[in-house]
Amino acid sequence: MNVSEFASPPEKRPESYGRNARYNQKRCFQVAQGFFKDAVRRARERNDRLKELERRLESPEVLLRREQLWGHSGKLEARYLRFLRTKEQLSNYSVVKTIGKGYFGEVKLVRKIQDGRVYALKRLFKSEMISKEQLPRVRAERDALAESDSEWVTKLFTTFQDNTSLYMLMEFCPGGDLMAILIKFQIFSEDITRFYAAEIVNAIEAIHNLGFIHRDIKPDNILLDRGGHIKLADFGLSKSFRKDHDSCYYQELLQRPTSQMSRLGNRNSVNIDAIQLTVSNRAQINEWRRSRRLMAYSSVGTPDYIAPELFYDQGYSFEIDWWSLGTIIYECLVGWPPFASENPQDTYRKIVNWQHTLFFPDDVQLSHNSVHLIRCMINSPEHRLGRNGVAEIKNHGFFAGVDFTTLRRIRAPFEPPLTSEVDTSCFPVDDLPQTEDPAPSLAGDDDSPTPEMFLPFIGYTFKRFEKSYS
Amino acid sequence: MANLFSGFSHSQASQSSASLASKLPPLPASPSLAQSIGMMGTADEALNAYQLPKPLPIWLNPAYARHIVKGNFMTLSARPKTVEEGEWVAHQVVEHYRNLWNFVRVIYEKEEDGKTLCNATTCPRMSAGANHSYTWLNSRFEPIELPAFEYITLMQRWISGKIDDTKMFPTEASGVSFSHNAQITTTALLNGPDEWVGKRSGFPHEFFGICQTIFLQMFRVYAHLYWAHFTEPFYHLNLEKQLNSCFSHFVLTATALDLLKPQELEPMQPLIDLWAANGTFPPESKAFAAANLKVGQRLLQLGGMA
Repeated sequence: MNVSEFASPPEKRPESYGRNARYNQKRCFQVAQGFFKDAVRRARERNDRLKELERRLESPEVLLRREQLWGHSGKLEARYLRFLRTKEQLSNYSVVKTIGKGYFGEVKLVRKIQDGRVYALKRLFKSEMISKEQLPRVRAERDALAESDSEWVTKLFTTFQDNTSLYMLMEFCPGGDLMAILIKFQIFSEDITRFYAAEIVNAIEAIHNLGFIHRDIKPDNILLDRGGHIKLADFGLSKSFRKDHDSCYYQELLQRPTSQMSRLGNRNSVNIDAIQLTVSNRAQINEWRRSRRLMAYSSVGTPDYIAPELFYDQGYSFEIDWWSLGTIIYECLVGWPPFASENPQDTYRKIVNWQHTLFFPDDVQLSHNSVHLIRCMINSPEHRLGRNGVAEIKNHGFFAGVDFTTLRRIRAPFEPPLTSEVDTSCFPVDDLPQTEDPAPSLAGDDDSPTPEMFLPFIGYTFKRFEKSYS
Repeated sequence: MANLFSGFSHSQASQSSASLASKLPPLPASPSLAQSIGMMGTADEALNAYQLPKPLPIWLNPAYARHIVKGNFMTLSARPKTVEEGEWVAHQVVEHYRNLWNFVRVIYEKEEDGKTLCNATTCPRMSAGANHSYTWLNSRFEPIELPAFEYITLMQRWISGKIDDTKMFPTEASGVSFSHNAQITTTALLNGPDEWVGKRSGFPHEFFGICQTIFLQMFRVYAHLYWAHFTEPFYHLNLEKQLNSCFSHFVLTATALDLLKPQELEPMQPLIDLWAANGTFPPESKAFAAANLKVGQRLLQLGGMA
């Protein structure tokens, strides 16, 4: 026996390969990496579920239902395995209605053809994502939702993609959003405001605990489920994180000549120039309200709820979400957000000058606690309530008597009056064109996936184990 | 080398079906080629019997047999207790097929000049070293030799034809079942010709046999990737650890679920020996049992890692 040595490794020459091989190299690398990451996570979760089942099987009160429990658990696992095996594609779903439109895509109410279940399907156009450098945001949203198992966050069941679009199959919240009921009722009582504010506190706490900052908490991102309880949505789709909405964009906006409505150069003119949104000029408010929906669908979006530090390059942290909550509480009690203006540019100016522009109209009766809470939240980051943790918010006098642990079990003030599981009466669908838009494409009509359209989205695909999902 | 098999008896083929095995008395595991030879002589003799080229292929060098993941892969292929066996096998088939195609794509897709890395010139036969080449059956059921590229094309068409056939791999959520558990479930388990893997979940009678064939075909493609393409392109493209991890997971799954018999692993036997010796395959795994530990340890020694 004469075993000689191993073949000696040649010098690596990755550059000698063609463009497609190098593209496939990246793809292969990421897919293999992603496979093991997902497989390990799934094995761990499966094991946790099995342990939980075994614990339940030991309990004496299930003695007669042991076979049922075992079989049920086996079937759930099997359904999930079939779901993993099935190729997800758009044709697996039939569209009921378009329920939302944003700059980067749209949201449709869909029915899974195979089992008739109803979901919200969010579609994001790849070409827009790439040209507007939205990729990290999309990734962030997918990661936030995929990792979250919170009742305060809209559930993401699966993600898939084709050549033009990314798809997120999400839980359908039939109650519409907080913006819709604010438009409808204009103003909330302090009790009702307290309910929504407390639920939003829990929701923000849940995503902060996952390590995510939402950065775009606003009434259109606060959805209402069947029972009228809130769920946070839209991590990263939000327009406020577009490249042209970053700090440079804000800076540039702020340097533009002032509009006729607002000349902030002169501090004394603030109260004159700021739109005097009081009950006396309802017409103006109504105009503002009508334009809200349109604003939400536009590429610009509304900056009304954004904390000032997001406009600057100085960095920001978790407390920016508490500023947004402060503005929402203000809007619920007063009827419009604190820095509402006729155009986004003026809103920006007011937000960065919040010390001088935040005021409470005389003709709206507000309790001391509510004004105090709002002033503690609409505040500089270093003094803002919530910077030391959520407890200091929950302990504020405004929330006296609220049991934050049982909120979801009490009846919500507005329960959506639904007639079917595809009832979209809580959505302003009349404003939306129901025709099918072709996805904007970078490369014309070519159907073959180009590396540019595929590579950045590898690892995007996700499938959740969900008891209610089949 | 294939005729070496003729001396062994492999009558335990029926073991591949676990539900059949449940009524059969336990049989000793079929001796694999490696073990049989290993029992007969020294590690060097066993290694020699593999008739490997000299110098040894780079993928047998322990330094290039590493992984992108650490820890026990077995948890990834172990059937969850409550899940019916056919359901689990179907899941594993689809996952491993997706993994394999991830590597095949690199050698299979056209470059801008229209050429593929694996073509009739580089690989005129579907080979795994000088001693193994695989044939495909033509329409008259005659074995024919094909360039590896053609073989892989046919393999891909055949496997996806099975996987995408919802009669063979049902996807209806309502059709699912669960596993039998003598301590909990009272459903009588039928044995014999009326019972088969996956029956309770709506998989057809021939399902398990088809899955074994799919795994055999996938194994051949992996073997071709190692023997013909490990350096060109996977090593050059820094994908060798990824390939190792997916293939070792494949071998663990295939052996654990009786989708491949130990003797079917032949052209990759020395790598399996090496992975048994370097701890990739845990001692309790069937892949470990199918390995010749002495050969693996000798390879570690040769690589200066023992």
